[in-house]
Amino acid sequence: MAQTTAVKEHSSKMQHRVAMFFVYLLLILIAALMLIPFIWMLSASFKLNKDVFTFPIEWIPSNPRPQNYVDIWTRIPLLTFIGNTAKLTIIVTLLQLFTSSFAAYAFAKLKFKGKNTLFLGYIATIALPWQAYMVPQFMMLRSWGLNNTHLAIILLQAFSAFGVFLMKQFYEGVPTELCEAARIDGLSEYGIWARIMLPLSKPAISTLVIFTFVSTWNDFLGPLIYLTETRLKTIQIGLRMFISQYSAEYGLIMAASVIALIPVLIVFLSLQKYFVQGVASAGLKG
Amino acid sequence: MKKLLALTMAGTMALSLAACGGAASESTAESTAESTASGTTETAEGSGEGVTLNWAVWDLESTAYWQAMADGYMASHPDVTIQMTDLGSTDYMTQLATQLAGGNGELDILTIKDIPGYSNLINLEMLVPMNDILTRDTADFGGVIEQLTADDGNFYAVPFRSDFWVLFYNKDMFDEAGIEYPTNDMTMEQFDQLIRDVSAATGAYGNIYHTWRSTVTLFGILDGQNTIIDGSYDFLKPYYEMVLSEQQDGVVPDYGVQKTSNLHYSGAFQSEQAAMCNMGSWFIATMQEYNNTAAENGVEPINFGIVKYPHPEGVEAGTTLGTVTSLGINPYSENQEAAADFINWCVSDEGAAAIAATGTFPAVSNPDINSIIAATEGFPTDEASVEALNTTAVYLEMPLSSKASEIESVLNEEHDAIMTYAKTVDDGIASMNERVGEILSAAE
Amino acid sequence: MPGTAAPAKAAPKKGMNKSLRESLIAYSFIAPNFIGFCIITLVPMVISIGLAFCDWDGVHPVEFIGLQNFLDLLKDDTFKASFVNTIVYTVGTVPLTLVCSLGLAILLNQKVKFRNFFRTVSFFPYVASLVAVAAVWNMIFNPAMGPVNQLLSMLGVAQQDLPRWAAGRDTAMITVILFSVWKNMGYYMVIYLAGLQGTNLELNEAAELDGANKWQIFWHVTLPQLRPTTFFVIIMLTINSFKVYDQMYMITQGGPGNATMTLVYDIYNVAFVNTPRYGYASAISMVLFILVLIVTLVQFRGSAANE
Repeated sequence: MAQTTAVKEHSSKMQHRVAMFFVYLLLILIAALMLIPFIWMLSASFKLNKDVFTFPIEWIPSNPRPQNYVDIWTRIPLLTFIGNTAKLTIIVTLLQLFTSSFAAYAFAKLKFKGKNTLFLGYIATIALPWQAYMVPQFMMLRSWGLNNTHLAIILLQAFSAFGVFLMKQFYEGVPTELCEAARIDGLSEYGIWARIMLPLSKPAISTLVIFTFVSTWNDFLGPLIYLTETRLKTIQIGLRMFISQYSAEYGLIMAASVIALIPVLIVFLSLQKYFVQGVASAGLKG
Repeated sequence: MKKLLALTMAGTMALSLAACGGAASESTAESTAESTASGTTETAEGSGEGVTLNWAVWDLESTAYWQAMADGYMASHPDVTIQMTDLGSTDYMTQLATQLAGGNGELDILTIKDIPGYSNLINLEMLVPMNDILTRDTADFGGVIEQLTADDGNFYAVPFRSDFWVLFYNKDMFDEAGIEYPTNDMTMEQFDQLIRDVSAATGAYGNIYHTWRSTVTLFGILDGQNTIIDGSYDFLKPYYEMVLSEQQDGVVPDYGVQKTSNLHYSGAFQSEQAAMCNMGSWFIATMQEYNNTAAENGVEPINFGIVKYPHPEGVEAGTTLGTVTSLGINPYSENQEAAADFINWCVSDEGAAAIAATGTFPAVSNPDINSIIAATEGFPTDEASVEALNTTAVYLEMPLSSKASEIESVLNEEHDAIMTYAKTVDDGIASMNERVGEILSAAE
Repeated sequence: MPGTAAPAKAAPKKGMNKSLRESLIAYSFIAPNFIGFCIITLVPMVISIGLAFCDWDGVHPVEFIGLQNFLDLLKDDTFKASFVNTIVYTVGTVPLTLVCSLGLAILLNQKVKFRNFFRTVSFFPYVASLVAVAAVWNMIFNPAMGPVNQLLSMLGVAQQDLPRWAAGRDTAMITVILFSVWKNMGYYMVIYLAGLQGTNLELNEAAELDGANKWQIFWHVTLPQLRPTTFFVIIMLTINSFKVYDQMYMITQGGPGNATMTLVYDIYNVAFVNTPRYGYASAISMVLFILVLIVTLVQFRGSAANE
């Protein structure tokens, strides 16, 4: 009897080990698949332009060229572009976070007239491609004197239906009983939003921050149209400066892309720690 | 059930929104346009004696001549400030169309990149006729002004820069193969043979045709019998067959692969993947720059030469294709007179010299210009390369037509289909004939 | 949502006041986003919807032409091809991305070593610049010399049978779909990761005590709790797939021929490549809009039926 239990335990341990082996194998394969573009970018960023697209792919440049990382700062005003992009991204992310999570609370937890209709209308607007209304929008903002201002980009990005939708879906996962209890305790709706919903939705907030940060940081078409003065341009537009009418300098583009990637990765790394099981359910217990 | 009702209501709301939009849009769009126009008037009033000209350009950082032209003009005209707005070359027309939307006059001088773009701007009535503005004799432009003249007898832009097509080759690769260099007088058959010979001997590609339609089809217009806007494209057949057969035999890179792999002609030529490259004269400056900085980049310079463009049997050597870059004036600009003065300066001898000094071919022909360019550092020293700069006849890649841009789209699409084997040459050409025929017969 | 009993207790008169007050509070929550959104986005959107019934090149006055744009669409081969391609792309991308991103999220929600590293790496293709990502994709799938075809060739596929990937008429769409799944699964994985944090672990433990296996727990316990997340992911995936454009622009330029031309790509071309035709572009976007609206409504109904 005792022996069989031991064998069972042993075999289940073995099973577990085999399973973990396959999990790690799978993870390593996926990681390799996902890292390929970055490794290629990194490798291309140390190459001369003419060598970037040659076959067979040279993953480790035989003649590495760190000069690319010096040239990107002098050939274009990259530092200015990074400053502009950082400024825009931070403002947009904060505004987006505030307005979206605020509105999402009403859609998720409050009752009011026309809620469903309004919400559906909101989502429907996501379906309309920006290319379709970009020109009327540009003419409107320009008539307000916002052409060649950062304010235009901030206004374009800060009020999105997407953020509201995302936050609403997460708020719905927070038990309504918590809000009810807080109301009985005399908290106002604003208090509930600030003291209960926000702290409980850290994973959702992290998601929204990551997404808004990435999309504003990498936004291309908006700054392209609204920011034609060099002193106002953003990184993605700056990268385009390496592509000219008859040639493109991919070595420099890749070097600048690597630099541009760093802040995004920092944001992701520092926020993904909030993706930890039990944040919301811990709240339920308390 | 209630939910269903709510959803239907939401749908109806979206639809009624659409209906309202239909009624409201006209007035809204117009009022936006009006307010924009009045906005510009105000800024112009405050300018007084000193004029600031806003000039739409591309690739300001990497192109030397914009600044050379602006500085040259401002040196002799201290009361004028020239400010450049860089719209980037990749999205230039998209950007320009957006900036001009609503008839906006913020940009005073518009640079015109190609004929379809020129034709678009004429269709939009966003260019001022230049007939009475241009002070220089139109004959000085070597027939280009005539090719830029619209059906109404006006020309709306003045070319300041002109490139023509030549054949680049890698001397070392030919030496290694033990094959004689290309010459300044080659027929298409000779060119085809040379591609095959040099490819067989070196194992590299004989030539690289860049993925533009012009690199393949425009051999067909060199005899002056056909243009790319007539609506009949049977004359393209031999050229498609020649290039496709080269492609199939692997002596030139595959079009589809090139297009999706970003393999750029300059990269292919500089890394000796191809022994020849048929390309515009702008590539000379690129190659000079590459060779002049080769030492500091730790690469071998490319020992290149240029010869005149290959031509069909019976066509005089030196007949080639041309690409012009022109300047026009925005009719909504408040500074049209100042803009006109600047454009006239750009095509004066003084302006042309300023452009040539940056290694760029100005549009006004001038016997001294070629020698200025041939004397720049890194220009091939052999006589044939210097002689290659003398052209006998230059045909614009596309003649002006109000349908130029639509025709261009169709031709590019069919070209893509033929080159990727999605259609046979005959089917593709039949489709070009049919679709361009429809465009040409459609009313304005 | 289960009906709440609290409001029923209140007296009818007081209830009306209360509901008005509740509504006002709710509107005050929505206002900051909604007012900004209306001014900046909704107004131009409505203008653009109106433009669908007009002819406008951006400079000349707007001319009302009724349904002419829509009639022209019926004769437009490029539009028809892009319509079909958009649907094919969506049908190909949505389920595949959904399954991959959910699988990845569950895998990376386990207690594995180097979890942060693996999570970050999965997000890479989404954040890396599209230029770089598209360039490396095209190099790897290069028909002549790319590693994928070299591998196939080593496995014994004959030279003439090797797929031409992005350069081939039949394979271009598959290439783009694979690219999209690979690029975007990290994005939806993040949403699922966040969603998984809201699931109740005690339910899992209870199910385990009842003798349920891992698959049963996933299917009957975890997945139902993820319903709001899945709903969001499906809607966003569908909408984003219908609006796809930049991936084609970077990888195939809509080609070969029209093989990967999509509706938004077509809108972009119509609006900007030739003489601008904003009215016609708006008409195409109206078709897209209605298409998405129908699909979204069906999904809303499906999710309502499930609740």
